[in-house]
Amino acid sequence: MMTNDAGTPLPIDVREVRHSYGEREVLCGLDLSVAPGEIYALLGGNGAGKSTTLSALLGFIVPSSGSVRVGGIDPAADPAKARAQLAYVPESVALYDQLSARENLDYFLALARAHRSPDTIIAPALEAVGLPQHAWNQRVGGFSKGMRQKVAIALALARHVPVLLLDEPTSGLDPRATLEFNRLIETARDRQVAILMVTHDLLSAVDVADRIGFLADGRIEEELAAGTGSVRFDLNALHARYTGTRVAA
Amino acid sequence: MSLARVELRLILRSRLAAAALALLFLLSALSIWSGLSAVDRQDATIARVTAEQARDLAAVAKEYGKPDGEAGYAAYYSFLLTHDRPSALAFLALGQRDVQPAVLRVRALSLQQQLYESETLNAEQALPGVFDFAFVAIYLAPLVVIALTHDLVTGEREGGRLRLLLSMPGTGLWRRRIGLRYLLVALSLLTPAAVALVATGAPAMLGLGIVVVISVYLAFWFGLSVLIASRVRASATAAAGSVGCWIVLTLLLPTLANAAIARAVPVSKGIDLTLAQREIVHHGWDIPKPATFDRFLATHPEWRGHESFKGRFHWKWLFAMHQVGDEAVAAQVAAYRASLLDRESWTVRLGWLLPNVAAQGVLHRLADTDLVAQLDYQDSIGAFHKELRSFFYPYLFLDRPFTRADFGLLPSYHARSGTASWPAIPMLLLLIVTGLILAASAVQIRGISRDDSR
Repeated sequence: MMTNDAGTPLPIDVREVRHSYGEREVLCGLDLSVAPGEIYALLGGNGAGKSTTLSALLGFIVPSSGSVRVGGIDPAADPAKARAQLAYVPESVALYDQLSARENLDYFLALARAHRSPDTIIAPALEAVGLPQHAWNQRVGGFSKGMRQKVAIALALARHVPVLLLDEPTSGLDPRATLEFNRLIETARDRQVAILMVTHDLLSAVDVADRIGFLADGRIEEELAAGTGSVRFDLNALHARYTGTRVAA
Repeated sequence: MSLARVELRLILRSRLAAAALALLFLLSALSIWSGLSAVDRQDATIARVTAEQARDLAAVAKEYGKPDGEAGYAAYYSFLLTHDRPSALAFLALGQRDVQPAVLRVRALSLQQQLYESETLNAEQALPGVFDFAFVAIYLAPLVVIALTHDLVTGEREGGRLRLLLSMPGTGLWRRRIGLRYLLVALSLLTPAAVALVATGAPAMLGLGIVVVISVYLAFWFGLSVLIASRVRASATAAAGSVGCWIVLTLLLPTLANAAIARAVPVSKGIDLTLAQREIVHHGWDIPKPATFDRFLATHPEWRGHESFKGRFHWKWLFAMHQVGDEAVAAQVAAYRASLLDRESWTVRLGWLLPNVAAQGVLHRLADTDLVAQLDYQDSIGAFHKELRSFFYPYLFLDRPFTRADFGLLPSYHARSGTASWPAIPMLLLLIVTGLILAASAVQIRGISRDDSR
């Protein structure tokens, strides 16, 4: 198991993981790690293994081989303990339409056993994600995708967990909402949360990611770290790389 | 806010679930009212007939109770009341009480021609069946269970919440949801019954038996419905699968099994015994009197030497004809009862496989409204009829006058004490079947928590 300098396990640590659905091998020796306060954008085409990677971290699947650790815990062996370390935001945030935003948060926090003092947790979380106060007690059935996304992020923030897993978080969001979302996850990064963002959205990844990994054929084919200057990533090169129209260096 | 409270809110804010629960409560209350009304009607009938009976007997006594009164007239015209009051739990499970008589007035003539008169009177009532609590619990409650559980898992998957739910570290999500639904269904169904049990002062142990058997039966349907709901990917498929099981288990298989049992164990109608007995009695008019008395005295030797009489007719000859008529069909009667019991035992065996049959059988046994109760009432009538004959025979064979005072000595019918009981084996088998189905659904549910990628 990889550890950081302080000797504590990495929040997300995936080593040599293989997994198959029947005859089809989806993960073929995947290596991936995310440190505290880091945003890792995992890019890849359809069927590259992005969702399977998340499933392995969530303990939904047991990999054929290799090691998956969330905060040093094997999700396959102890899913409840591993899930206590992470918050997951699915691609399409579906909540209970019959409940208000506050009630949804209240319920999911109770499910997560993170429910110590709801009033002191829920209101600041909803405030932090910028959900208008008048919407807090409205049923989420009438919410836009962006508003639902905010409730889901509020849930993640309210749980104060060290790992955040985002599945296509900006899919379906308009540019402004995407920008707002990116600022939100930067807030989480500032809290030293390790964030793994599975996405198709290159612009968003370039905007917030500290590292970008290209997943192809079940393994990280290429990994790039953000630059320290004003240009974090070379967007044109990334685009060409992502779309398979690699330009000569 | 507690999890259970939010779960409750989620259920009650679902129109289908709230409507299904409200409907179940309403149907349960209506069935209780219907059962209590039926029982009240039977009690009222018994009370009315008892009063009429007293008036009728007084009129007969006035007409035939003379210093030189003939016992034959008194025996022929004195109809004496027998009755089978509904048990304390009959209002919950009427069983055979809708087609079997609650009162029967008998006289000292042939028993068999009097026992089955109801078969010609009440046949129509058997067609629509009865709307009682047992019907609601056995046939309708499973549909409410299906309505509340068919989309337990698939609804979350279709709503896009399943992965989010499963990503939560807390445990017991499904257990809590199923448990809450079970509690709501049980409360909707059993609350009216519990109120009625307390209000009517029913015996606590038998009332508890009703609650236990219904609770186990509901658990079976929860297990089955959850098992199906957690194996398929679409709510519509789960609903269709569960309703299909309901049709097969509660309608199709019992009907087929009933037909098979009827074919394997043929039972003649009770009215056939009446006809056979009447044929023999009527034949008595056409044969020499000694032939009738010979058969009578073979079973009643104490009256030997008292059988002769002058003239063409004597009441003792008529009553001997009727006694011989009953005895002539005794073997048929025994066979008839044996085949009824044989059918009943096959039905109990059917309950080993079909929980609804088992639960229904247990309910009717607890309520004392099944075949056993019916035969017990017939036995009590038979015993009373024997007493009645024994009362009149000394008057008839010794030519004693039957005075008005003798009417006061007529035997009275003592109602049976009831046979309600806990049928241990059907209950145990129901528990085993329910335990197996619950275990299977628990394994299936655990699999969902592990892997939602199917």
